Amino acid sequence: MSEALVAVEAAGADTAAPAASGARQFWRRLRAQRAALVAAAVVALLVLIALAAPLLTGLEGQDPTTYHPALIDSARGGVPTGSFGGIGADHWLGVEPQTGRDMFARLVYGARVSLGVALAATVVQVVLGVAMGVASGLGSRWADLVLSRITDIFVSMPLMVMALALLAIVPDGFPRPVLVALIISLVSGWSTTAKMVRAQTLTLKNLDYVAASRLSGWSTWRTAVRELLPGLAAPVITYAALLIPTNISAEAALSFLGVGVKPPTPSWGQMLTSADVWYQAAPQYLLLPAAALFVTVFALTVLGDGVRVALDPRAASRLRIGTGRKREARAETAGAFGAKKEDRA
Amino acid sequence: MNALTGFVLRRVIGAVVTLFALSVIIYVVFYVTPGNVAQITCGPRCSPVQVHQVAQQLHLDDPLYVRYWHFLQGLFVGQDFSTGTSVEHCSAPCLGQSYQTDQQVTGIILTRLPVSFSLVLGAMVIWLLLGVGTGVLSAWRRGRFSERALTALTLAGVATPVFVIGLVLMIVVCGELQLLPFPEYVNFTDDPEQWAWNLLLPWLSLALIESANFARLTRASMLETLADDHIRTFRAYGVGERAIIARHALRGATASVIALNAVTFGSAVGGAVLTETLFGLPGVGQELVHAVKVVDLPVVVGMVLVVGFFVVLANAVADVLYAVADRRVVLA
Amino acid sequence: MRQPSVIARRVAAASVSLVVAAGAAACGPKDNDAKGSGGDSTPHKGGTLTVLNSQPQTDFDPARLYTSGGGNVPSLVFRTLTTRNRENGAAGSKVVPDLATDTGRPNKDATVWTYTLKKGLKYEDGTPITSADIKYGIERSFAPELSGGAPYLRDWLAGAADYQGPYKDKKGLSAIETPDSRTIVFHLDKPEGEFPFLATQTQFAPVPKGKDNGTKYEEHPVSSGPYKVVKNENDGEHMLLARNTYWSAATDAERKAYPDTIDVRSGLDSSVINQRLSASQGADAAAVTTDTNLGPAELAKVSGDKELAARVGTGHFGYTNYIAFNPTVKPFDNPKVRQAIAYAVDRSSVVNAAGGSALAEPATTFLPDQKSFGHTPYDPFPAGASGNAAKARQLLAEAGHKNGLSVTLTHSNAKDFETSPEIATAVQDALKKAGITVKLQGLEDNDYRDTIHSVKTEPGFFLAHWGADWPSGGPFLAPIFDGRQIVKDGANFNTGLLNDKSVNDEIDAINKLTDLDAAAKRWGALDQKIGEQALVVPLFHPVYKRLYGSDVRNIVISDWTGVLDISQVAVK
Repeated sequence: MSEALVAVEAAGADTAAPAASGARQFWRRLRAQRAALVAAAVVALLVLIALAAPLLTGLEGQDPTTYHPALIDSARGGVPTGSFGGIGADHWLGVEPQTGRDMFARLVYGARVSLGVALAATVVQVVLGVAMGVASGLGSRWADLVLSRITDIFVSMPLMVMALALLAIVPDGFPRPVLVALIISLVSGWSTTAKMVRAQTLTLKNLDYVAASRLSGWSTWRTAVRELLPGLAAPVITYAALLIPTNISAEAALSFLGVGVKPPTPSWGQMLTSADVWYQAAPQYLLLPAAALFVTVFALTVLGDGVRVALDPRAASRLRIGTGRKREARAETAGAFGAKKEDRA
Repeated sequence: MNALTGFVLRRVIGAVVTLFALSVIIYVVFYVTPGNVAQITCGPRCSPVQVHQVAQQLHLDDPLYVRYWHFLQGLFVGQDFSTGTSVEHCSAPCLGQSYQTDQQVTGIILTRLPVSFSLVLGAMVIWLLLGVGTGVLSAWRRGRFSERALTALTLAGVATPVFVIGLVLMIVVCGELQLLPFPEYVNFTDDPEQWAWNLLLPWLSLALIESANFARLTRASMLETLADDHIRTFRAYGVGERAIIARHALRGATASVIALNAVTFGSAVGGAVLTETLFGLPGVGQELVHAVKVVDLPVVVGMVLVVGFFVVLANAVADVLYAVADRRVVLA
Repeated sequence: MRQPSVIARRVAAASVSLVVAAGAAACGPKDNDAKGSGGDSTPHKGGTLTVLNSQPQTDFDPARLYTSGGGNVPSLVFRTLTTRNRENGAAGSKVVPDLATDTGRPNKDATVWTYTLKKGLKYEDGTPITSADIKYGIERSFAPELSGGAPYLRDWLAGAADYQGPYKDKKGLSAIETPDSRTIVFHLDKPEGEFPFLATQTQFAPVPKGKDNGTKYEEHPVSSGPYKVVKNENDGEHMLLARNTYWSAATDAERKAYPDTIDVRSGLDSSVINQRLSASQGADAAAVTTDTNLGPAELAKVSGDKELAARVGTGHFGYTNYIAFNPTVKPFDNPKVRQAIAYAVDRSSVVNAAGGSALAEPATTFLPDQKSFGHTPYDPFPAGASGNAAKARQLLAEAGHKNGLSVTLTHSNAKDFETSPEIATAVQDALKKAGITVKLQGLEDNDYRDTIHSVKTEPGFFLAHWGADWPSGGPFLAPIFDGRQIVKDGANFNTGLLNDKSVNDEIDAINKLTDLDAAAKRWGALDQKIGEQALVVPLFHPVYKRLYGSDVRNIVISDWTGVLDISQVAVK
């Protein structure tokens, strides 16, 4: 991430309210946005589906791994024999070509992996990014220099290379979803967060109340925890909300290169990877996970926008009545720079 | 020393340190990566005797630091390679020779960079048009059908992996409608027209993924400008909305779009792996992934350095362009 | 064997390699003959044949190529002492003379083989081909700079085991004599009745010493075949071949060479190759692929389309995908456990995972289902199409695992539909019914190879595959089951670690035979004898289904390669 861009992203926060001016206010502003509310409902539903996967598949009477050879036509490459991919009372969304595994079960279990990996990756990105950013912002010149270089190195490292290399090194026993989440988060996202937080910290450091606490002899650590973190909350949460959809797509891309979660565990990325060639012969096999991914990314993006507006009241008022100042709106651009490009391209 | 010189100097030193560290990291990572390079090079059925001969030939038995020293030597003074019948000199900066194919890494990079550039340059035009266009519409005509459709399209681009978009595009456009030939890379210098036709689908696929970012950024910057007091003054004076958008709001967004563009461009040069693989474009990303899989260390290091170079360069360029376009920013 | 893989470029460069990135290996109706090409099927000279491939022709040097029968694209440029018979089906698995006047004259115990070159053989520059050039071509394949070929020359030629090639050791190989410019004599360490098969590999192509430029030779190897290289870009990614005017059909009964030019384009995505062949527009109408199978998804589409179905060539290449056991690892030291797994395996679900019954045939024998291999039908553990869980449970109980068993199955993470996760999960699902809980251990491809091919790390239970270097039982059984081929300090393929004197002796006895039909029968019997020990569980043999463009005629698919032979194809 270029420093100029980071400056753009961080700019809005230099006047950010000290401490969260109240969760209540945040909720009130969020509730005022209809689109964001709908998006939040969709996201909540998706999370619920993922959590309740065993329950839902139990209701259907299927599981994601059992083969149903009777439902596919082996002589024709294993295309489902039933119409619309074998959709029916037993298999609500049909069955998978070649194996006859239940599509509904795979889709809802796949949500667990895809959402789980994306959320976990986001958490790591944020924690790592904030830690590195605050450390270089508050630390000595040297610490800042070293940490910034480390961040640069990660930025310039191609994700795919590191993913493939790491995968070969890490022992097989290591849980694969965790590894995938780590790969996504280590190689992308966190460095941007770090740079943003660093810039933010540098600005906040000079604000009266932070400077005062430093002067009054508080340790750097205490300053960071008590005074800085609350001020960082808004931009970081905003950015995190926008990282999640990027991370979901990254999981799909990794699957395509054979670096995703392991079969028979389903994930949306993996389903898409094996389904793309079936676009003509069994379209629902491709369309279902693609639609799931689209809805999720769409909802998360809208929700992310909503969260940003709710955290930044001036942006909200500007949207309505057209007032507001330059710098706050700049914070809007925070979301524009997701993870590095190669994880999706 | 003025601000710009100091900035450039600091950036150059930073870049050198970064690239140097990258090469060390890659050497270490690949040293511990499983995969018997000599056996891979020689073939699975090679006898231990032959594998040993190949390992000697490639200096694979040397300790890590010796191999890295050879790499540095090649970089600064050049290196000699035996073809068996003669000795070939690879002059500095020599990135070494592939274990698997005996091609010089510099040569491999030079044949693949134009392909990646062709892909990314064309895609850039599209993502700028589509992304900025969508951004303008969504700031200006918020809630209209055209705005919603375009926003959904760009988001679909983010949400759908490129291997799905690309393959479906190919099946429909080339296979079923037969509007275009199946993409196959043609050198720009050989036939510029064919070059463009063949790259059209790869450009579209890659651009679709990136344009949502540009749309979001453009919208944000434009709303910011439109909310400005001086715009309200213009409006009060009766300046047309169209003129306000074109002359003021869009101009306000230019700086950040340029900056994002440089960064996106830099990372896509080595990062458009999936697009290159799907469309069979012999670009940098595709070769890099292949080299990693066959543990071809010289190629991996060379490619990572070049890719890293572009990322670092793009970031610096973004900063400079940003500063030039928006004089309020002071170079840090 | 040739291990076709997207990863190992050097190995997979063999043009017949099986590439199944998006598809699967194949199985199905037993029609060994190619389907008709439709329309006017008389072949004419002229035109450009396009080859759309996934794997680049990397290392296009006769010393480095690992081919079965000289490969497909390489065989257009490199002629060898003998070659494969270019005919449909079983007749195509015979070995026939190429540069030589016959397939070789052995001495009594098949340790000395003599060949005489035909008259009037010329390179692309008009200079004559001599027996010394063939000797030199073989010698340089020993150079570590030019590694990659099959191991047989090193194993068979007398005193060649440590030879380092002509660059380091100018003396040359004493095991090869060239008494005159048309005669070449090979002295072997032990009897090898199948030497004529080995002489089909590209290492037996002539290389003029004066033109040898080591590792750079691959950029423009000197042609002895009907085509010469006029363009070789990006290390074999785009290759253009044009007629070699010094080649004469009078000396070559095998290659038809109808097209004027051959345009080989590689590095393409496998699903894109199949889309292009099925659309068959423009230059793609005269296109074929030598390395990309139809995948299951594409098969589903093709089977519903008469026009497309008529443009599919079906073939069989000697290849077996199987489960391997390491009997030194518990509980697989117990034959009853191995047998239980053999009974429990559901071959129909494995076949489905590999692409369905049109792309894979269930296998109960290790030898491929072809006469030339000496295939003898047998099933030591008959469990029907989808396994016999009850029998498996009973055997487990006898082995002392009444309450079921928990084991780990090692497989690769490569997307090859052979040793890949799809096959492993199908095995896992079937064994579950027999009370065997399978934990999957998926390794990255390089790691997987290193692990299963080292006696130190070999797991107890894993997926493996084996392919034919030539269509005979010898190269199929010996590397896997000959006790003297256990390699302790390198790549070992005898994964069952079988060292049975009676097996070793029988292998030696068959190798003495120069009557290949008699040898085949005994390979078949040996296969059955080994199969009963349940050291491997054969899963399936692939079937090759390849689309070709609508203008392509004269389709010949032999059982040797299983793919359309481009030396026979016409586009006009």
